Amino acid sequence: MTSPTKAGIRWHIVVFLAPAVLVYTAVMIYPLFATLRLSFYSEVDQNRLWVGLQNFRTLFGDAIWSEQFWNALANNAWFFLIHMLVQNPIGIALAAILSSPRLRFSAFYRSAIFIPTILSFVIVGFAWKLILSPIWGIAPGLLDAIGLKFLYQPWLGKEEYALTTLSLVSVWQYVGIPMMLIYAALLSIPDDILEAGECDGITGMAAFWKIKLPLILPSIGIISILTFVANFNAFDLIYAAQGALAGPDFSTDILGTFMYRTFFGFQLQLGDPHMGSTIASAMFVIILIGVCLYLFGIQRRLRNYQF
Amino acid sequence: MTALKLTNVNKSFGPVHVLKDINLTVEEGEFVVFVGPSGCGKSTLLRVIAGLVDASSGTIEIGGDVVNTVPPAKRGIAMVFQSYALYPHLTVKDNMGLGLKQEGRAKSIVEDRVAKASKMLDLDRYLSRRPAELSGGQRQRVAIGRAIVRDPKLFLFDEPLSNLDAALRMNTRVEIAALHRTLSASMIYVTHDQIEAMTLADKIVVLRDGRIEQVGSPMELYNNPANRFVAGFLGSPSMNFLQSSVPGLAPGQTIGIRPEHLTLSEGGQINGKVTHVERLGGDTNLLVVTDADETLTVRLFGQDQTNVGAAIRLAFDPAHAFYFNDAEERVYQNAA
Repeated sequence: MTSPTKAGIRWHIVVFLAPAVLVYTAVMIYPLFATLRLSFYSEVDQNRLWVGLQNFRTLFGDAIWSEQFWNALANNAWFFLIHMLVQNPIGIALAAILSSPRLRFSAFYRSAIFIPTILSFVIVGFAWKLILSPIWGIAPGLLDAIGLKFLYQPWLGKEEYALTTLSLVSVWQYVGIPMMLIYAALLSIPDDILEAGECDGITGMAAFWKIKLPLILPSIGIISILTFVANFNAFDLIYAAQGALAGPDFSTDILGTFMYRTFFGFQLQLGDPHMGSTIASAMFVIILIGVCLYLFGIQRRLRNYQF
Repeated sequence: MTALKLTNVNKSFGPVHVLKDINLTVEEGEFVVFVGPSGCGKSTLLRVIAGLVDASSGTIEIGGDVVNTVPPAKRGIAMVFQSYALYPHLTVKDNMGLGLKQEGRAKSIVEDRVAKASKMLDLDRYLSRRPAELSGGQRQRVAIGRAIVRDPKLFLFDEPLSNLDAALRMNTRVEIAALHRTLSASMIYVTHDQIEAMTLADKIVVLRDGRIEQVGSPMELYNNPANRFVAGFLGSPSMNFLQSSVPGLAPGQTIGIRPEHLTLSEGGQINGKVTHVERLGGDTNLLVVTDADETLTVRLFGQDQTNVGAAIRLAFDPAHAFYFNDAEERVYQNAA
């Protein structure tokens, strides 16, 4: 007789883990490693050839490739920055307003602000394209009606505005998510603590800055990392609004559209799965580094409070 | 000077009338306990005094000033919550000092007062810890410290001991009593535990359904309850109410006898059978069903050998009995 701890493979563990492991492997792990593997090959005369790091040398070293890559990365960084500076503060502010017990119709506002999030990016991209169109759009007309016509620009058509405009459209669509997460975090703060603050003279804005904000910092951290991952994986809105060429003149090109164009080809450009995988691998590494920096640098310092 | 004066205070939440015409005076330095079953409005009354809830009508005076429209922080009160309600992100020191900082007091004054309060409560060693790193009893002391630091005219305690375990509750109860002697401050203390009420209070306010049933010192209420509710609420085990087991009562009349005033006696008027015995060492409690099928509790001092199933006779001194009419009010003439 052996004791249960030395009974060799404990099959029940294997059996219970198997479904999750198999599904996750099939849809996540295998494609990830297949993509990484693909980035070490190239195709010459319809033969797949091991080229080692050559694709990466091309991506970062070749003048044409690297210019496109750095352009996409810089655009992506700007895209992320706009979300961090506009979407998340507005989301927090909306949540703070919504959680005020004196606000009437708060359920209506909450739903109204959240609805764009559940719309398809195709609808959002196309609708905003129409709204902002200089020819049939309602934006010029609306600005005219309030005497601000001179402010109107064909925002999606100008290199200097297009990326910022699309970032703001994305903010408009997704601001409901940080709002909901922060709203939930605010509701979880016990009334007692806020009442104790009231007895200490900490009310209104002071209560927000001194009590509520420190207590929702962990949620803000989670939102930041979710925003980072979502933004560096973004593709859909740009593609729906500007196409895979991410015009004008690649000014709205982000890593997602760059990867798509390279991998599958677009118009006259032929698809190259190997260079596409190389870009995808680079995106993977960028996001991995970002998430690691966050997890080890910031998340550990944020305290989660139990009430 | 009066620390607190309530005049005709009413509070309704929509159609629900929670506080009904509360009139009450708390003298300077007095320890007043609000006691009553849950839902009687005692916590709401405390929150009305604190200013966390506005009264629907009536006036609230603290230290001679009408404070109906004054925000809680300027009423000169400090409140200790049942859940402690410490700021989880601040250290013990900052928890205690935040209120003073918010008032814009000089740093040295804040430091001074925090040091004094933490010394009084034996919290010196924990000043740089956060609430999550403290035990329940320590958190409770921090909450009390936060109140002391504000140097209020009136302390408000909202069931401060109910989250502590039994042993700690006893200790903290003694500490609060000692604190009251040291600070000689006016305190209002809400509890549903009649033992806390009896042991701490200078004056007990018994509430039921949003009304004050009786106000008085613990012994006044114990010896001279105004009605059946107060009689039954104070004292442990609670008073026995009998209608048919004692001969000579007028119809509808109830007699109330405290368990400690019943004695085993061959010549007793009440016949019954013991159904359960609780031996506490110092006391023995007998649960008895009388021949008239009413249950009562007998508290015998010392250790008693009576066993379950024994037929017993109980006697009582009529001087220690209370009589109530069918409206549950006290009546003073014995029908017999």
